[in-house]
Amino acid sequence: MPGSLEPAAVRGAAERALLPAKNLLEEVGDLIILTGKTINSALRPPYPYGGEFVSQFLFTLRLCWIPLLVSTVCINYAAPGLQAANFLSIIGALDRLGGIFGLAAIREIGPLVTAIVLAGVAGTAITADLGARKIREELDALQVLGVDPVKNLVVPRFLSLMLVTALFNMYTILFGIFGGIVAELVNGQPLGPFWVTLFNNTSTVDVWGSEVKATVFGAIIAIVSCYKGITASGGAEGVGRAVNQAVVVAFLAIGAFNYAFTQMLLATHPQVLVIK
Amino acid sequence: MSEPQAMPRDWIASTGEIAGFTGKVIRDVYGLRVLRFFGEALRQSGIMIVSSTLIIWAMMFLIGLQCGTVGAYFTESTGASAYAGVFSAWCGLREFIPYAFGYMMSAKVGTGIVAELGAMRISDEIDALEVMGVNSITFLCATRLLAAWLVLPFVYVAGIGGAFLASYIAVVKQVGSVSSGGYLLIFWQFQNPPDFLYSTIKAMTMATAIVLVGCYYGYNASGGPVGVGTATARSMVLNLVLVHLIGMLGTQVFWGANPRAPIGG
Repeated sequence: MPGSLEPAAVRGAAERALLPAKNLLEEVGDLIILTGKTINSALRPPYPYGGEFVSQFLFTLRLCWIPLLVSTVCINYAAPGLQAANFLSIIGALDRLGGIFGLAAIREIGPLVTAIVLAGVAGTAITADLGARKIREELDALQVLGVDPVKNLVVPRFLSLMLVTALFNMYTILFGIFGGIVAELVNGQPLGPFWVTLFNNTSTVDVWGSEVKATVFGAIIAIVSCYKGITASGGAEGVGRAVNQAVVVAFLAIGAFNYAFTQMLLATHPQVLVIK
Repeated sequence: MSEPQAMPRDWIASTGEIAGFTGKVIRDVYGLRVLRFFGEALRQSGIMIVSSTLIIWAMMFLIGLQCGTVGAYFTESTGASAYAGVFSAWCGLREFIPYAFGYMMSAKVGTGIVAELGAMRISDEIDALEVMGVNSITFLCATRLLAAWLVLPFVYVAGIGGAFLASYIAVVKQVGSVSSGGYLLIFWQFQNPPDFLYSTIKAMTMATAIVLVGCYYGYNASGGPVGVGTATARSMVLNLVLVHLIGMLGTQVFWGANPRAPIGG
């Protein structure tokens, strides 16, 4: 009876085709639920996560400062430093390079590089750590003991990563400007005009926009890494796969949020665009 | 942590190990020993195309949007909106498209290789290969490197197209500070085939480094299921540092002394 078989076959094919979309939506939903739970249990009274918060904070600082230092000096020396200096020297305005650094190093590259390096270094370490605990059934054991994994493991990581990203953002900006100074010296320019144009063209909005962006990046990284860690499954391969997925999802989320935030900030704050 | 010399000494030791391993893999590919497993290399290429391409393109597209947005607003504020194309051409093709490619390569392909090879090492499959008389470095690492070289130039070039489209959308359709024709005129004037070639060289150098780092950390993973996760996390540190270093050196070598712009005489 072909008539009765067809709908089932069609439905099966449709389900197979839509399965990736369904999984994606489910995962996004899970991430949002975990975010809500984390914020909720961070604010509710018993606050047992102080020690874990401090140790995670120090762990991230120790792990990230060297890769971040190398990355930020390299990228700021090359992209806004050399390329912009190339363009400015053609039109004879090399003294305006500082102004470009207000835009590039502070508003754009600082938060982006901080987020990429923290997702790649600290986020992967968090996923590997939590994933290993999940595989060894330590998380289940904690739950049996009446200890809430979200409150005791996810919340301290969430808070410490937000704080650490905001702090590291300042550090990235400082060393990014150092990269700019190197580019200026390579081009044989005096540093006075660099500082003048940098401080004239950087507004408060640039700085707080950069900080807000970096803090939200930290939250994204923490939630994605913790989610992938506490849902890891499948033995030896599983932890590695969880780390892989965590960093991919974190990078894409960072890129998407970066675009939306920049578009919104620039459209709603036209005063940051005025060149002085 | 006990003695201050321990950290640099460890770094130098592991740098040497990675260099030795890298030399072996590259020798296998250039000595054409890898052709014995050409089928496996093709299979790895297929896996790379199916599982990683879309995600790499997505990241490159997002960066293209970002370059377009910033460029449009910046050139508007200088009073030269018509020149938004300069910013998106240089920011994109020369700098951030290779970086976006490097980031997503290390996230998706690099850590993927570590997780896969690490799991094989932990479950003693690599030792089993050796027992069967198969050279495991050639079979596992050299085939992956060859696959990357076969596939990634095309992935990268197509990704550049996606990022250019994204810049166009951001500048012309979203911000709307310049007409379509004006944007494209300046955009294509301010780039040339050597730029494109250098950008591709930069990205392929990053990709080679990432695949080799992934193979090294995966091949030498140890310490049970936890060890695979740790190795995957550690490979990302080295990958990100290498991506930024290669990006900087590439810019210095290719554009450091010659801006190659159609201005002046």
